[in-house]
Amino acid sequence: MSVLRDIGARDAAIQLRGVGKTFGSNTVLKGVDLDIERSERVCVIGPSGSGKSTLLRCMVFLETYDEGEIYVEGRLLGYSISDGTRKKDSEVQTANVRRNVGMVFQQFNLWPHMTALGNVIAALRIVKGMTRAEAEKIGREALETVGLAHKADAYPDRLSGGQQQRVAIARALAMNPSILLFDEPTSALDPELVGEVLEVMRQLASQGMTMVVVTHEMGFAAEVADRVIFMDGGSIVEAGPPQRLFSKPESPRLAQFLDTWKSRNASGSVSEITG
Amino acid sequence: MLDFTAVIAQLPRMAAGAQTTIWISAAALLCGAALGLVMCAARLSRNIFLRALAAVFVSMFRGLPLLVVLLILFYVPPNFGVETTPLTAALLGLTLNTAGYQTEIYRAGFLTVPPGHAEAARMLGFSRLQIARHIFLPQIFRVTIPALTNEAVDVVKSSGLLSIIAVTELLRISQQIVSSTYRPLETYLVCGLFYFLMSTAVSSFGRFLERRLTPKPA
Amino acid sequence: MIDFTAIAEYAPAIGRGLLVTIEICAVSLVLGLLLGLGVALLARLPWLPLRWLIRSYIELWRGTPLLLQLFILYYGGPTFGFLPTSYQAGVLGMSLYTAAYLAEIFRAGFEAVPPGQVEAARMLGFTKLKIVRHIELPQMLRLVVPPTTNQMISIIKESAVLSVITVPELTLTTTRIVSETFVVVEPYLLLGLAYWSVTAMVAFGSRQIERRLVRA
Ligand SMILES: Nc1ncnc2c1ncn2[C@@H]1O[C@H](COP(=O)(O)OP(=O)(O)OP(=O)(O)O)[C@@H](O)[C@H]1O
Ligand SMILES: [Mg+2]
Repeated sequence: MSVLRDIGARDAAIQLRGVGKTFGSNTVLKGVDLDIERSERVCVIGPSGSGKSTLLRCMVFLETYDEGEIYVEGRLLGYSISDGTRKKDSEVQTANVRRNVGMVFQQFNLWPHMTALGNVIAALRIVKGMTRAEAEKIGREALETVGLAHKADAYPDRLSGGQQQRVAIARALAMNPSILLFDEPTSALDPELVGEVLEVMRQLASQGMTMVVVTHEMGFAAEVADRVIFMDGGSIVEAGPPQRLFSKPESPRLAQFLDTWKSRNASGSVSEITG
Repeated sequence: MLDFTAVIAQLPRMAAGAQTTIWISAAALLCGAALGLVMCAARLSRNIFLRALAAVFVSMFRGLPLLVVLLILFYVPPNFGVETTPLTAALLGLTLNTAGYQTEIYRAGFLTVPPGHAEAARMLGFSRLQIARHIFLPQIFRVTIPALTNEAVDVVKSSGLLSIIAVTELLRISQQIVSSTYRPLETYLVCGLFYFLMSTAVSSFGRFLERRLTPKPA
Repeated sequence: MIDFTAIAEYAPAIGRGLLVTIEICAVSLVLGLLLGLGVALLARLPWLPLRWLIRSYIELWRGTPLLLQLFILYYGGPTFGFLPTSYQAGVLGMSLYTAAYLAEIFRAGFEAVPPGQVEAARMLGFTKLKIVRHIELPQMLRLVVPPTTNQMISIIKESAVLSVITVPELTLTTTRIVSETFVVVEPYLLLGLAYWSVTAMVAFGSRQIERRLVRA
C-alpha cells in the first residue's frame, strides 16, 4: 500500500524514560519507562483514570510532561536541553519531532465543515503545500484503504460513527506516518460499528505499522498485540505478551481488573480472550 | 391629515442618506469584525494582561451607550489638541461599539468548537495560525451567522445616532427635511420605512447565508 | 489636567439625572415586560390576522432605531392631536420598543419548551389554559431570564437617546452642564463612568441570578 512507509529496522520508535506528569496536585503519571519498538503493536489497558490517555497524549506532546524524557524516533520530544536545563520547544520544533506520528481520537475529531476527502487532504494541502491534484490522489488512496472511497464527498455528519472513525484513520494515514497512536478508537461507537474499525486496524497491524492502542477491546488486544501494558494509578503495573498477561496475571490488581472485565462481559472468559 | 407629497419630493435625498447609512454601517461592521477577532484572540490568550485588557474592552463598550461614546470621541479629543471630524468620531465610535459585541460573539462561537478539532490539526502539523484560519474561523463563522446578523441590524439602527454629531446619514437628512417641510410625522414614517427595509434586507441576507453554509445532505 | 472640582457643584444635578434615567428604565422595563408577555401570549391564539399583526409590530419596532420611534411619537404625535410631554413620549417609546424585544424573547422561550411535556400534560387531562399556566409559562419564564437581563442592560444604554427629545435624564443633564460651564472632558468622562458602572452592576447581578437558576 503506497500510503504507508516501508518499515524495516526494529530500533525504538518511542522511548519513555521516567516520565512523570501532574495535574495540579494530582500525580497522573509516576515515572513511566517504556520502549516501543518499530513495527511493534502495543495495547494499553487499565481502569478508568489510570492515566492511559495522558500517557498517549504525552507521547505526542499534546500534554506536556513534567519529568523524564520521551524520545520519538531517537529525538527528544517537546524540550531541548542546553547547559543542563531544559527549555520547552516551540510548536514548530515539536511538530517536527513527531511528524511521523499519527493520532486517532476517541471522538474522531473530524472537521465538520469539510467533506471526508477534505478532511483527509487538508494537511497535505495546508501543511505540505501539495497541489489539489496530488493531495486528492493520496487522499483517495487513503480512503480506499479504509474502504470509504465512495464516501469521499460526504460531510462527517452524514457518516456513521464507524465511518467517521475510518475517515479519521485515513486522515492520519495520508500523512504517511510510521507510528499510529489510538486512544480508545471504538469506545464512542455503537457495538455493531466496532468491528469495521477494528478490521481496518488489524489490516494496518498486519502491514507492519507501529501501533500504540489504548483500548477496552480485550479480544483485539489478545489477537493483535505483541505486548499488552496494564496501567493502574499512573504506573505500568504489568506488561507482557497478551497470552501470558491474560492467562497468568502476576499482579493482584491486573487479576482483579480482568475479573471485573469478565463479569461485565458475561460470555467472555480468559480462554476466549486469548483465543 | 397625513400628506406625503412634500416628503415624496425629498425621496432622492433620503435615499442618499440611506446610502451613507449603509456604507458607514458596513465599514464599521468590517472594522469591528477585525478588531473583534483580535480582541477575541486576546480574551482567549494565555497572557493574563491581554485577557484583562480584552475583558475591560468588552465590558466598556458593551456597557456604554453609543451616544455617550460618540459624545466623548467627538468633544473630548479637541481639548487635548486632537482635532476630530464627525465622520472619524462616528466611524470610530460605531466600530468600537460593534467590536465589543463581536468579541463576545466570536468567543461564544469559539467555545462551540471542541478542543479535539485543534488537537487533530496539531497532530497533522498545522501551525497555530493555520489552525485558526482553517479549523476555527470557518466553524466560528458558521455558528455565529445568526448572532452576527442581529449585530449587523443593530449597527444599521445605531448609526441613526450619528445624526447627533451631524453626520448626514439617513436620520440627519430626515431631520433636515422636517425643518424645511414641517412634516415630521410623514418624514419620520418614510425614514422608518427606509430603516425597516435595510434591517429586513440584512436579516434576509443572514438567513440566506445560514442556509447556504449549513452542510447540505449528501 | 483632569479636574473634577470644576463640576463639583453640579453633583446634585447629575444625581437627579441618574435618578430620572433609572426611573424611566424601571418603568419601561415593567411596562415592556407586561406588554411583551401579553403580546407573546396573544400570539399563541390560533387567529392568523392577530398573529400577523403581532409579527408586524415586533418586526417594525425591532427593525427601526429607537431614536426615530421617539421622533415619531414626540414630533409626529401632534399631527394626530397627540401632544405628549417629552417624558411621556420617552416612557411610551421605550416601553413599546422594549416590549417588542421581550415579546420576541418570550416567543422563543415558549417554543423552547419541549412539546413532549405539553403532550404529557394533555394526556393527564390538563386543559389548554392550564397547560399554558402550569407547564409552559413557568418553564418559559426560566428560559428567558438570561436574554431578559441582557435586555435590561440594553434599555439602560438606549435610554441615553431620550436626551435628544429633551427628557431631563443623565445624558441631557450632562450635556447641559457642558454647555453651561464650557468644561467638556470631566462631565463626559463622568457620564461614561456612570453608565459603565450601572450597566456593569446590572450585568454582575444578572450573572448571579443566572448562576443561581442553573443550580436550582
Ligand atoms: N486536563 C486535565 N486536567 C486535570 N486533570 C486531568 C486532565 N486530564 C486528565 N486528568 C486526570 O488525570 C487522571 C488520568 O486521566 P486519563 O484520562 O489519563 O485516564 P484514562 O486512563 O485515560 O481513563 P479513561 O479510561 O476513563 O479514559 C484522571 O484522574 C483525570 O481526572
Ligand atoms: Mg482515556
